Amino acid sequence: MRDIATSQTILVVGGGVSGMTAALEAAECGKQVLLVEKSPTLGGRTALLYRYFPKLCHPTCGLEINLRRLKGNRNVRVMTMAEVVRVEGRRGDYSVTLRVAPRFVNENCTACGACAEAVGAEIPNPWNYNLNRMKAAYLPHAMAYPQRYVLDASIAGTPDAEKARTACKYGAIDLEMKEQTLTVSAGAVVWATGWKPYDAAKIQPYGYGRYANVITSVEFERLADPHGPTGGRIVRPSDGKEAKNIAFIQCAGSRDENHLRHCSRICCMASLKHTQFVREAYGEAARSTIYYIDIRAIDRFEDFYRKVRADRTVKFVKSKPARIAEDRASGDVVLHGVDTEGYHRYAAQHDLAVLAIGMETAVPLPQDAEVFPAGCAADALDVNRSVQSSTAAALRAIQVVNRAARAES
Amino acid sequence: MSAYQGDFLKEVEARVEEGEWVKMCMQCGVCAGSCPFGPHWEHSPQKIFMMIRAGKREEVLTSDAMWMCTSCYNCVVRCPRKLPITQIMHGLATYAHRLGLAPKMQPTRRFSVTFWSNLTRTGRVNELKLVLQVYFRNGFAAGLKEFWNMRRVGLRLLAAKRMNPFELVFPHRCKDAKGIQRMLAKACEIENRKRGFSQ
Amino acid sequence: MKTAAYLCGGCGIAEQLDTARLAAIAEREGKVDLVREHPFLCSAEGVQAIREGIDKDGATHVMLAACSRRAKTEAFYFPDVAVARANLREGVVWIQEKGEAAQEMADDYVRMACAELKRMQVPKAGPDTGKSKRVLVVGGGISGLTAALEAAEAGYEALIVEKEAALGGWAARLHRRIPERAPFKDPAETGVPALVDAVTRNSRIKLQLGTTVAQTAGAPGRFRVTLSNGRTEEVGAIVQASGFSLYDAARLAEFSYGKSPDIVDQAGLEALAKKSIPIRRPSDNKEVKQVVFVQCAGQRDDSGKHLPYCSGHCCATSMKQAMYFKDANPAVDTVVIYTDLRVPGNGEDFYRSAQAKGVTFTKGKVSAVEADGAVKFRDLILDEDTQIKADLVVLATGQVPNSGVNIDNPDEPDANGAKPISILNLEYRQGSDLPRLAHGFSDSHFICFPYETRRTGIYTAGPVRRPMDIAQAVEDATGAALKAIQATENAALGRAAHPRSGDLSFPLVRLDGCTQCKRCTVECPFGAIDEDEKRYPVFNESRCRRCSTCMGACPVRVISFENYSVDSVGAQIKAVGIPDETEEKPRILILACENDAYPALDMAGLQRVKYSAAVRVIPVRCLGSVNQVWVTDALNAGYDGIMLLGCKHGDDYQCHFVRGSALAAERMSKIDDTLKQLALENERVITCEAAITDIARLPRLIDEYAQTIERIGLSPLKGFA
Repeated sequence: MRDIATSQTILVVGGGVSGMTAALEAAECGKQVLLVEKSPTLGGRTALLYRYFPKLCHPTCGLEINLRRLKGNRNVRVMTMAEVVRVEGRRGDYSVTLRVAPRFVNENCTACGACAEAVGAEIPNPWNYNLNRMKAAYLPHAMAYPQRYVLDASIAGTPDAEKARTACKYGAIDLEMKEQTLTVSAGAVVWATGWKPYDAAKIQPYGYGRYANVITSVEFERLADPHGPTGGRIVRPSDGKEAKNIAFIQCAGSRDENHLRHCSRICCMASLKHTQFVREAYGEAARSTIYYIDIRAIDRFEDFYRKVRADRTVKFVKSKPARIAEDRASGDVVLHGVDTEGYHRYAAQHDLAVLAIGMETAVPLPQDAEVFPAGCAADALDVNRSVQSSTAAALRAIQVVNRAARAES
Repeated sequence: MSAYQGDFLKEVEARVEEGEWVKMCMQCGVCAGSCPFGPHWEHSPQKIFMMIRAGKREEVLTSDAMWMCTSCYNCVVRCPRKLPITQIMHGLATYAHRLGLAPKMQPTRRFSVTFWSNLTRTGRVNELKLVLQVYFRNGFAAGLKEFWNMRRVGLRLLAAKRMNPFELVFPHRCKDAKGIQRMLAKACEIENRKRGFSQ
Repeated sequence: MKTAAYLCGGCGIAEQLDTARLAAIAEREGKVDLVREHPFLCSAEGVQAIREGIDKDGATHVMLAACSRRAKTEAFYFPDVAVARANLREGVVWIQEKGEAAQEMADDYVRMACAELKRMQVPKAGPDTGKSKRVLVVGGGISGLTAALEAAEAGYEALIVEKEAALGGWAARLHRRIPERAPFKDPAETGVPALVDAVTRNSRIKLQLGTTVAQTAGAPGRFRVTLSNGRTEEVGAIVQASGFSLYDAARLAEFSYGKSPDIVDQAGLEALAKKSIPIRRPSDNKEVKQVVFVQCAGQRDDSGKHLPYCSGHCCATSMKQAMYFKDANPAVDTVVIYTDLRVPGNGEDFYRSAQAKGVTFTKGKVSAVEADGAVKFRDLILDEDTQIKADLVVLATGQVPNSGVNIDNPDEPDANGAKPISILNLEYRQGSDLPRLAHGFSDSHFICFPYETRRTGIYTAGPVRRPMDIAQAVEDATGAALKAIQATENAALGRAAHPRSGDLSFPLVRLDGCTQCKRCTVECPFGAIDEDEKRYPVFNESRCRRCSTCMGACPVRVISFENYSVDSVGAQIKAVGIPDETEEKPRILILACENDAYPALDMAGLQRVKYSAAVRVIPVRCLGSVNQVWVTDALNAGYDGIMLLGCKHGDDYQCHFVRGSALAAERMSKIDDTLKQLALENERVITCEAAITDIARLPRLIDEYAQTIERIGLSPLKGFA
């Protein structure tokens, strides 16, 4: 497998928007790139967003463009379900060990979906933050790339796997696939492993996990998405009732020495955006309240903040709520706290509480080898800044391989 | 008039226990919402901190707010800046008391004073005396009434030998009460020197 | 030309369709030389068969009747031949029940693909390639220096043009900068001398100081830049790092700037800090004892008088400046009055450090600063009007971009009221500087693509793009340097830049038919087309992004691309078999944006969402490329309805070719006259906004439109064509 990469190859770890950007930008400069992604599809976390702030446009639109760039560019080689185990070496000469999980589906797959129909077992759907379940033979989402099904490892060896194999007319199900470990060479490594939401259950006073109607902002994003678990209906988990009166709690985990010390940057803007989802769903009947310490609508985002402030369905309270209780009878959540602007105590009842959850690095940087971090592996960034960061990281990687090339010639 | 001259903040930092933490508050208000006594306060902790920074010396030190703290530590565990709010509240209360600015009739303050003098006399708390002092704090008639209300508890304590009426006359003492008093006096002296009190 | 057609029977195609009939259509109607069927075309054997058709039978044009052009792109990769694809899977069998209607749909898609195929050529790169790979950097501040150095480190030559006599820009005027590394506690060295030194010593970087750009002509790979000193330089790409000016605090009458030397802006405070630490106040040279920072001075303004945006760096800058005082003398009172403290990411550590050093922060709205230093404000936490008597007041005013002339309104002064001076002096028909996005900034409109410039090969970096601090400017400049390098590489190969990256097709013009109407030159979203003395269009291929808006605009249809033309789409439209009026089978033409609407329809297929069998969908590069003749031809041919599906337009437009969908809407609003002339109802042609996520909505829209057509009846024009 060493032949797929040389010291002239740039290895990009992570196939989200940052990794795809770094890979494509380098490839479009004529460089050879190996893009490895742990999950079965490219697209990362942005593919799970319904819409972006502040334009309210659709992340999959950009994903489509990037996928088209990728399909047309032979300089990038993509490996999915591949995880980096070890990075050794130095600039210009790395040896990287990858562990490739079995997909049990080969490139014959046409994404016809017959295997999913045949399989009975269901598993939690991580592309909807486990808010619903999906078949254990699945295409992650409609924009998944490669457009190829996956057989979940949990059904390997079960009759379901055999059913899937029989259902496939194209010989695409390969139950003999095994986990593989391989080593590749690279001249530079871009680390674009992204972020994960902070574990909301650790914020004990907010009752996530104890109260059904306390959810996180990433989950809310799926609720609002027409292709999410509720078909885009903003309803609450406990009873499916329309959630019109929603509390958005900022700094859930962020700016907090008990949790994450840093500010996660995106949460204020995400909540401002979410208020507009609520408004679109329920019009004048919508009631959004943002509980905040500081609204960090930096630079031109201020325009969006201004627009939301002008929206009569949205209220702002300068307060970090102290705790959330549950009103047993109604299932409502009750926020207890103090509006610090002038000291007003509240016990505010809402249909749903959405925790604007903080951003944590998903995978730490390798310890023994120097890599170029990009996107949220580098800092808490929004999509625009992640892309900027990844473009810069691509150039840093190019500098290394170009230097190596010049030294050789 | 000029607000936000840092004099009072500096005074608090120098003379109040854990006072150097006051500047670290970011006004999120989680302490104010976490306090079980919250509804009864005139000023919440976070507001007190802001008032200190704003230089509202008189208002802060004469306030009864910090006397309401029951040391439940809800605020401390939730504070995103890890401020030792409970300690600061007690520090402020003590400081106001030392300066003679604390509200005279504030029940917590009165109890604390009673408790302290009771304790330091013999080196042990005389519970019976303490109870009587507390019951009769608002005059003889009120004291009797309270006494009467609690008679059953008292009798049962007597029966269980958890209360000894002779303690009123012959209080239980420490072996070296004088020594303890000297120790406390020394501690006071060190504390006073550190916090800048003359006596 | 030798044509070959391959029909796939997989994924339900053979079960639901009569593939022999499709093959017969390809052969007889499509007049394809070689027609083959395969049960599983994307398999290794299937692909091998196609490969043999190309290599052994010499096919130059290959039609694949299988799945969508978006699917199986790895298998069906034949860059050496022209490829047309008939979408029988997502476009027919996955959205239709088996039956004659589906069969007719498939028949038509095969006819359309055969028709398109013959009007396509494999694009050969244009003749307009420039070979210069040198990068011009306009501006020698920290953004410009970074861009030049990073490009040079990658092996590319750079030229810095700086209007001042020295390098360093704003950053050189700073005492210290906001820290960018852990532990984010103290102001850091600016790093400017080291950066200037590295740039000066780098043999790949040339400097032109005290110089401006007098003229920029040409295109990526071959820009000719004339400097104010008369020199001419050839460069391949440009990074514009022209920075910002500070918003003029004198415009804030209520803050008494100018009335007292002890009221300064943030730049003024840096100057004081450079002069002496501890900082002394200008009026009497006494050490400052109480300083107040007024955040958002003339920023985040709702009144319309000042800057409406937030400059992003000022909160951290005030923290840093307060530390200048506190680090030297902790007894100095430093108060920051803010409404929202904005220090994202690790800025929170810097905030904590400032507090630990004793900087006081108070949420408030400042109403006035008196000349004697009294700062009057509403204390929002303590809910009272109050004031602080300061001996020095610092106003955190914002960044005004140095973005040159507003090409839409060339006389418009900047936010400081200054007369605009062009930065690039572009010899472009569409104006001398980069188009602006908002508030004078030349940012990209796209969240996923911060460098998606509207002038190919020219990238802005630093605070001219959006308000930012040094750390972000350095990242931004590095990214811009990459894009500049990429632009030169693209230009050298005649390859399109984003979003049609790698496209080698380019506009071909039959100038003898041109009527000099100038629509193409006006409507090109990327300023790619100039005009010669006789007002004929001059196409600059390497500026072109291949959106084909010019092709859509051209009333005499003289603009085309090798693989996409008025003819290639027109022929598809005409290839559809229109049933005569007795058959009562409507036909609806859908022209769908290939980036959003078409993928949405594909995904509807993937999810087996059913919709009307009356539609025939043709993907277009952009709705901007839709030439009106397609619509009139379709109406004349007897189509009963035409739907144009494109991206959202308006302020938050989503069209990656900027105005494509807006132009289509404008052009189609004028189609009413045509409809009237043909005695047709207005509903016969509609334009809809579609997003890529409209997987469920688009089928619904289509069905509703089919019902509308049913209601108004079949087109009376059937059978006249």
